[in-house]
Amino acid sequence: MISKLAFLSLLLIASGATISAEPLAPNDVKALLEKIRAKRVGAPQMQADFAEQKDVHLMNKPISSTGKVWFQEPNKFRREVKGSSPSITVSDGATLWIFYPKFQSAEKYSLGKRSPLDAGIAALTAALNLEHVENSYHITASKQGDGFELLLAPRNPSLKRLLKTFDIHLNADLQVQRTEMVQPNGDHIATSYTNESRAPIPGSTFEFTPPAGTNVTTPLGR
Amino acid sequence: MSYSKFIARLVTERRGLVWLVVALLAGASLYVLITRMTLDSEVLNLLPGKFESVQGLKVYNNDFAQTRELTFALACQPNDTDKLEEFAPIFAERLRAQPWTTRVLNGSPMETPEGVHDLQGLAVPLLLNLEPQDFSATISVLEPAHLQARLRRLHGEIEAGSPRPEFELQLDPLGVVAPALKPFAGNAGLQEGEPLVSPDRTLRVFLVVTNQESLDAFACQALMVKVNAFRKAAGAGWDGGRLQVLVTGRSAYVAEISLSMRHDIVVTLLGSILLVGAVFFVGFRRWLPLLGMGFSLLLCCLVALAVGLLIFGELNMVTIGMCAILIGLGVDFAILIFGRYQQARNEGSAHAPAIEEAISKLGRAIFFGALTTSVGFLALLLGGAAGFTQLGVLIAIGILVAGLCMTSVFFLFTRERSLPPRHDWIFGLVRLYVRRMLRAPALILWIALPILLGLFAVAIIPQIPLIFDASTKSMEPKKSDAGYALNAIMTAMPTRWEPVIGIVRAPNEEQLHTDWQKVEAHWRALREAGAIKDFSTPAALALSPRLIEENRKRLGQIDFAGTRTALQSAIAQEGFSPETFTAGFALLDRLQAVAKGTQPVPDWRKQLPLTSSWWFLVDRYFAADPLLSVGFATTNKPVETHEQKEKLREILPVAGVRMTLSGWSFTLTDLLPWSHHQLILISALMAFFDAFLLAVLYRDLRLWLIQIATLVLAVGAMIATMKLAIIPLNLLNVLAFRLVLAIGVDYGIYVLLVWQKAQDVEHDVAGVLKPVALAGLTAIAGFGSLGFANNPTLSGLGIACAIGLSWSLFATIFFTLPAAAIAEPKRDESSRIVPG
Repeated sequence: MISKLAFLSLLLIASGATISAEPLAPNDVKALLEKIRAKRVGAPQMQADFAEQKDVHLMNKPISSTGKVWFQEPNKFRREVKGSSPSITVSDGATLWIFYPKFQSAEKYSLGKRSPLDAGIAALTAALNLEHVENSYHITASKQGDGFELLLAPRNPSLKRLLKTFDIHLNADLQVQRTEMVQPNGDHIATSYTNESRAPIPGSTFEFTPPAGTNVTTPLGR
Repeated sequence: MSYSKFIARLVTERRGLVWLVVALLAGASLYVLITRMTLDSEVLNLLPGKFESVQGLKVYNNDFAQTRELTFALACQPNDTDKLEEFAPIFAERLRAQPWTTRVLNGSPMETPEGVHDLQGLAVPLLLNLEPQDFSATISVLEPAHLQARLRRLHGEIEAGSPRPEFELQLDPLGVVAPALKPFAGNAGLQEGEPLVSPDRTLRVFLVVTNQESLDAFACQALMVKVNAFRKAAGAGWDGGRLQVLVTGRSAYVAEISLSMRHDIVVTLLGSILLVGAVFFVGFRRWLPLLGMGFSLLLCCLVALAVGLLIFGELNMVTIGMCAILIGLGVDFAILIFGRYQQARNEGSAHAPAIEEAISKLGRAIFFGALTTSVGFLALLLGGAAGFTQLGVLIAIGILVAGLCMTSVFFLFTRERSLPPRHDWIFGLVRLYVRRMLRAPALILWIALPILLGLFAVAIIPQIPLIFDASTKSMEPKKSDAGYALNAIMTAMPTRWEPVIGIVRAPNEEQLHTDWQKVEAHWRALREAGAIKDFSTPAALALSPRLIEENRKRLGQIDFAGTRTALQSAIAQEGFSPETFTAGFALLDRLQAVAKGTQPVPDWRKQLPLTSSWWFLVDRYFAADPLLSVGFATTNKPVETHEQKEKLREILPVAGVRMTLSGWSFTLTDLLPWSHHQLILISALMAFFDAFLLAVLYRDLRLWLIQIATLVLAVGAMIATMKLAIIPLNLLNVLAFRLVLAIGVDYGIYVLLVWQKAQDVEHDVAGVLKPVALAGLTAIAGFGSLGFANNPTLSGLGIACAIGLSWSLFATIFFTLPAAAIAEPKRDESSRIVPG
């Protein structure tokens, strides 16, 4: 149930074309991760537009949505969905808000209590910054054209309950273009990213105060 | 014919007859023991039964399913937490596969499809049990417009990535189950304080309900044999560092306690026999009388146990200490009487006259000694604790029988031709001491009195406290795997403490519902006022037949066909998969059937499968008798003081609801005044009895004052020693004080009675002082051997008594005698040469 959060949140990540793959040796994978880390160390934040398609077992047809995502290391993020069912998801690392302007309602979740929700957020942030990602996942990689594909398999049992596989496609500049996530219940989420920027992000982006009159619920009771 | 002459003739001239009587007595006792022996291992019987909290604890311990619950824990090294997380489901499956398990809980039931399905099964009766206003609000979601709006909202939430829709649709496709379960979920709130994983993830807890039929000690032992075999094999496949498989629970404790009884019996009895036998042999260097003493004591134990069984029907585990205590005390009489017998033989008396003289000279002292000791132990009856009542009665019987046996049966083991050893170094030492004491009693007093007064000062000054331990830990066995497991779990998960329990028994379902509604409202107000931290009651599951019938009629007003059509339309419009709502349509069918009366309102107890994890929650509240239930109130701080307990007793009850408040911590604090009462009032009563008896015995103010001072100083030294050695008093070893008063006074009686009548002071006093010293040492050894017992109440009592008796003996020898010599000086007429 709660696993859905991570599952759905992970739709955020970027896209890329599948081309012929050349598997990388473990040392090359390590070097690639090191390279990604080094590239991002000077700019620990990113923002991008996204387009997402979810195949969810609850629904008859896939759900498509577009929007924008902001991320700040180590675990702050904001995600705004546009369209007929708009929503704003904000996390400052301690609290997660999901706000539905159309319904004037918001959900509030506390993080950092070792709940499955935390595992979901960890999965999300791992995809966005790939920091120490090898601690939580078995990673295999391959060269695809001038980019790379990282295939992440969770090590940790709490992540295993959320994710079956997590596929990240990077371009030649090592920017995330597309992510594909398959969950144990068969749900599939594909997210592609465009217009990535590493410009500084104001701290207020990761803060959220529900507008007056919003019906706030805490579905997990915490 | 005098009594002493009669006994002397009987044991010398009619030995066969005496042996026949002894054989009949032993045979009858053995017959009773073999045919009627039942051991009571209920630790709660050690507490006074008159307290409501104790009765409540007994009800909770015996009538609720937690009596069959075992708590397993897996504890790993800090580096292996991920491995433990992966291994936990494997371990849980292995537990489920055991033939002795009924169900296993290793995580929230909501995390499994079965748990969710089981919960849906409870929906109809719980929905119908809602208060009219809540019920109307809940069923309003079945109106077409509401159904459409709800599904639209859920659609939006799915798009946003909220975790809620999946959870909500999985459990409650219609939107009526969650409100129906709200009171249930609210009451389960306390469970959040009881996680199954420690914060550092190194320990995981698994709750298991066993299918153990009987709860007696042997059944618990048999179960734990299987459980321990499982524990050995349960770690197979684990590839991390050290993994501990721990287990605790009632059955684990009962099995351990009952097995440790065997250990305690062997250790304390053998220890007592060895120590006492060694003292006797060193004192007299004769085997046959030693054998006679052992035989007589064995006979006393047999008779006491048999009579005890006939009186009580069963014997509590605490009575296992009886034999060791009886040996330690009964041997006093043997030593005294045999010492006097030997003295007479040394002075040239023949066998029979020596027996007659020994009984004549010491029979009265032994009678009063047995009487004071018996009264001391019978005073345990005033405590009201079944275990200690039995102990008191058995020892009182045993000690009186010992007094009789040692002045009769014991002499069957003495022989005409057996003469005392020519050189008795103990007697020589004692005589030397007596001689010097008679010459310079003040010098002895100048040495002994400051020591005793110094200790008395330590005893009364508040700056050095006497620790009083009323915690549950003070009641735990010393070496206990179950205790270790419990401690490991509590240490790893220190998030909460034991709640106060409120037990409610109602005559019918409606009353139970009404009672818990009142309690729920009252405790909620208390929580909001900050008077308690949290609470949890079975209010949601205590159904009201009246409400259910009223709501069933209201349910009949719903247009179920219209609802079904509206739901189908909303599902199609929002693009939901029809499978998502299969359970919702099934629930609609059930509600319609119940509304029409074509189906009865389901009994939620029958809806839950036996293996359902929800039973862990249900069983927490309800006993096998569904009208017996319990609620839990968590206090803001652990209940440790009488004042806290009194405050809870004042605020938790609700007018018109008969509720028994209990819980281990609550009960132990409830017993604090009782324990203090035992310590002060009953000990004081014993002291008054001693004082009265001594006054009658001595009829001499100075000797009476000396003896009273001896008792006061000895008890003072006992308290001081416990303070300085940091030996805590607990709820039960406070009983030691009255025993010390009862037994310690005997030493003074033996010595001062001889002193009063002594013609040849050195000879007569040395003649009694040696046996008194030996008797004191054997009593100390007898009680001291209880210190080896695993049972904390027994060992605590034994150690406290051994300390007290040591000081009683010290005070008798080094204070009573020299004080008597100063108060009532006697001319030293020692002219005869006494061997040694």
